[in-house]
Amino acid sequence: MIQLFLQKFRESTLSILAITLSLTAVGLITLKSINTGHEGHYLQQSFYKQFFFLLPAVIAFLIAFFIPRHTIHRYIYGLYGVMILMILIPFLGTEIASTYRWIDIGLPFGFQPSELAKWIVVIALARYLSDHNLEMNYFTASIFPIIMVLIPAAIILNQPDLGTAIIILVPVLPMLYWVGARPFHLFLMVAPLVSIITAFHWISFAVWAAIMLYVIYNAKPNFVFSITTFFGNIFLGLLSPVLWGMLKGYQQKRILTLFNPEIDPLGAAYQIIQSKTAIGAGGWLGKGWGQGTQTHLKFLPVQESDFIVSVIGEEFGFIAILLLVTLFSVLILRTLRLAYNIDDRFSSLVLLGLSTIFAAHVFVNFAMTVGMIPVKGLPLPFVSYGGTFLLSSYVMVAFIMNLSIDPKDY
Amino acid sequence: MLKASNLIPQKRFLVISGVILLLMISLVSRFFYLQIYFHETYKEKAEVNRIRAIPLNAPRGLILDRNGEIIVDNYPTYVLTAIPGEMIEKRKNFQIISQCTGIDTSILEVNYKKYFRGRFLPARLAKDLSFDQLSRIEEHKQELTGINYIQFPERYFPGKVSAAHLLGYVKEVDKVLLQDLNEKEKYLYGDLIGWRGLEKVYEDRLRGEKGIYFVEVDAYGRELGISSDYQKENPIPGKDLRISLLIPLQEMLENILDGYRAVVLVSLPKTGEMLSMVSKPDYPPDLFTGSTTVDEWQNIISNPEKPLLNRITHGLYPPGSTLKMITAMMLMEKGKINYSEKINCNGVYELGDRIFRCWKEMGHGEMDLEQAIAQSCNVYFYHVVQRLSIDEWANACDEFGFGKTTKIDLASEAKGVVPNSAYMNKQYGHWGWSKGHLLNLSLGQGELVVTPIQMMQFINILAMSGTAPALHLAKDKSAVMHSVKRFSQQTWKRMEKYMRKVVSSTHGTGKRANPEITGLKIAGKTGTAQNPHGEPHAWFIGYGEKDNKLVSVVVLIENGGHGGATAAPIAGRVFDFLFSSSESTKLAFSL
Repeated sequence: MIQLFLQKFRESTLSILAITLSLTAVGLITLKSINTGHEGHYLQQSFYKQFFFLLPAVIAFLIAFFIPRHTIHRYIYGLYGVMILMILIPFLGTEIASTYRWIDIGLPFGFQPSELAKWIVVIALARYLSDHNLEMNYFTASIFPIIMVLIPAAIILNQPDLGTAIIILVPVLPMLYWVGARPFHLFLMVAPLVSIITAFHWISFAVWAAIMLYVIYNAKPNFVFSITTFFGNIFLGLLSPVLWGMLKGYQQKRILTLFNPEIDPLGAAYQIIQSKTAIGAGGWLGKGWGQGTQTHLKFLPVQESDFIVSVIGEEFGFIAILLLVTLFSVLILRTLRLAYNIDDRFSSLVLLGLSTIFAAHVFVNFAMTVGMIPVKGLPLPFVSYGGTFLLSSYVMVAFIMNLSIDPKDY
Repeated sequence: MLKASNLIPQKRFLVISGVILLLMISLVSRFFYLQIYFHETYKEKAEVNRIRAIPLNAPRGLILDRNGEIIVDNYPTYVLTAIPGEMIEKRKNFQIISQCTGIDTSILEVNYKKYFRGRFLPARLAKDLSFDQLSRIEEHKQELTGINYIQFPERYFPGKVSAAHLLGYVKEVDKVLLQDLNEKEKYLYGDLIGWRGLEKVYEDRLRGEKGIYFVEVDAYGRELGISSDYQKENPIPGKDLRISLLIPLQEMLENILDGYRAVVLVSLPKTGEMLSMVSKPDYPPDLFTGSTTVDEWQNIISNPEKPLLNRITHGLYPPGSTLKMITAMMLMEKGKINYSEKINCNGVYELGDRIFRCWKEMGHGEMDLEQAIAQSCNVYFYHVVQRLSIDEWANACDEFGFGKTTKIDLASEAKGVVPNSAYMNKQYGHWGWSKGHLLNLSLGQGELVVTPIQMMQFINILAMSGTAPALHLAKDKSAVMHSVKRFSQQTWKRMEKYMRKVVSSTHGTGKRANPEITGLKIAGKTGTAQNPHGEPHAWFIGYGEKDNKLVSVVVLIENGGHGGATAAPIAGRVFDFLFSSSESTKLAFSL
């Protein structure tokens, strides 16, 4: 068995593991810096806690790496069902930080089932799309996959955790595209969302309406369909103020602060301002390990998880950020390349889905720390503090390594 | 189905890879923009970010009496402030503060709005907090983000004396006030500024210089400790102000005059120093420190006796017969009077169709100048004043300082009115006034109005035979000399002789001002000023000298009746106090 494992290990793409371990190391170094000067028991320090979280992460990694491809394929729907139940469980428990995203598992830390939902949804989706391979030219074939992601996304949105909900939604588009869905169909899926967002200003709404006209005209569907699509979207746009009212206050605030950070200097925008200050103060080489004043004076919010990039930016500078982005890019593009080359549609889709999850995480996390997008509360894979996410990330890497091995066992 | 073969079009692979690459490049360029292009800006911002400057308020200088007794002191209080941008839950914060201090949340809200100056500037919520209240707030410090307190020295009046009109008060600098200030840059909202009286005049001396210290704060504005990077600057307390008042005398006079509307002034003519200045009714000196209730305030404002009015400098009164000296000296100096000339007073004097009465209905009988002054005979003066023109008389009044401010070191003064012919023409038309008006004016009635402090200056010039230092309160103020040059030494001496008779002769109107202390020679003049508000105002002005120690007194009792009956005895008390015991003499004439 060990023999078998080692053989499989040797066949896998080890560069991906190397990148993963480097990123983990960067995370630990940064956490150690954040912890310096903190008093208290070492088990209360995020560095040590993260270090201990590595153990279950590595075990999960080994399991996920070793599970045969067909086993994954067979049980994924069942796991999907279990996952849906799991993300519902926190609603039965108590609120933590006024959200329902944690399950109390009797340990000194909670467990976030929504983290696992990310890759479970991707694999389930991969199975569905590879099973229904040839129907992708029809728009109706896209409906079921969409529902598959919308259900968990809607539940998680209600926890409420907008960031994770978006991460769950993101892979479905590239995956549909990957298996041959017509770009026009994907456009039709995205259009309602864009209609809602652009409707907040008449200029953006007018521009969007013009783009819709152009795309619909070029795609040349039948007349009735064109009319319904166009006016359906316009109607939805007009409805958006109503939908807006249904959003949670803090979600509204987060969206608003994107457009005008001055609205809420102590809330979301305050975090962005502080984070930008820290990063900008870093310069080329940063202030040095443990020297970040913004970090150590606690100006930075959630610096150990969502805003760890700000700490890295402040203490290690632009060079470190460049290195970090490069490492992630290599990881993601390498995975994409594997997905392109592999001769198995299911594996290819899983690899694609997981790489888009990583890409979304990395982009959203980096972008929010520098104010490019609203604060989404998404951690950075391998680097940010957080047990479940670390485990989840390692599982995803394990799946990438597992499924990218040239399939000869079928 | 697992074996579904994979045939991904290269185009689609390239599109997805391209999109991801593009996103990553956009990230890197954004970081480059912040970290390299705008590095300096953010570096500076990060520096400022973590430091908060906390002002240390300097206590104002004390105000001391001539012997070093404290009249105005400071005591430490605490002021609670809120930084709006750092408060997370304002309403909850206010509720906690309200529970800790007993101050109603509505008051906190009102103050918050009133003192709001910006999101990251502290707005004052409450002042005068005790240490007890503060420690209760301190217990909740973790919940109260953005709430801070600083020590704030408040004015405190330990004394036995009020002297409220002299001391004046300090006021908080607020938005409106700051706009009107000349030296805006020296003040911040909530600072104290001397607003009336000595506090105003000596503002620059009394006000100290603020200190400052720097604390490191976290993102929620919570203090992490004193910053080691910036030097703490201790506040420099204001300099003390020594004034010439004699507290025991002031205390005695304030007690005597309680219940009167009156002014008593005591000064040292040789130096111009004020020993005592009492204006009654007055108000507690801490009226303006903020602890006054609305009711108390209403009482003071609506009081018909006007306790807020400083009668010393702003009370305008006809001087009555105290002004006869000017008429007498003008006549003497110009040789228009024969000292042995006698005029019969039968109580009435007729001029044209008008009848002028002497205060003594029966008349004084035969009077010469000395008797006319000592007994304050009006009829005598009705006769002789006609030898002067109104402008001759008005110029002399002007030279004694009537109709002008005395420039005493209190913040403001009324000028009074000395009518000359131009004034009378303007008032009544060229033909509308006559000699009859002059008769009235020369007796200190009619259009002529003076302030008590002008009378003090007047009597000092008489006491010093023409040249007296200007009146002042601050001990170290160098006094300008005020001279009246039109009279010869002979005239001054003769006038003094007559004024001594007022106090010393058996029929003298001011004899009750004499405490009969051996060696003490008193000169003075009473006045009984008719006015439309009822009983005449009673005046006594005079000076006493013993062993070369000279003291002058002005007494005014509003509607007090005859000067000799009500004002003179109070002057007597002053002389008695100062000269009967060598100890108080020593205190009064100490340097």
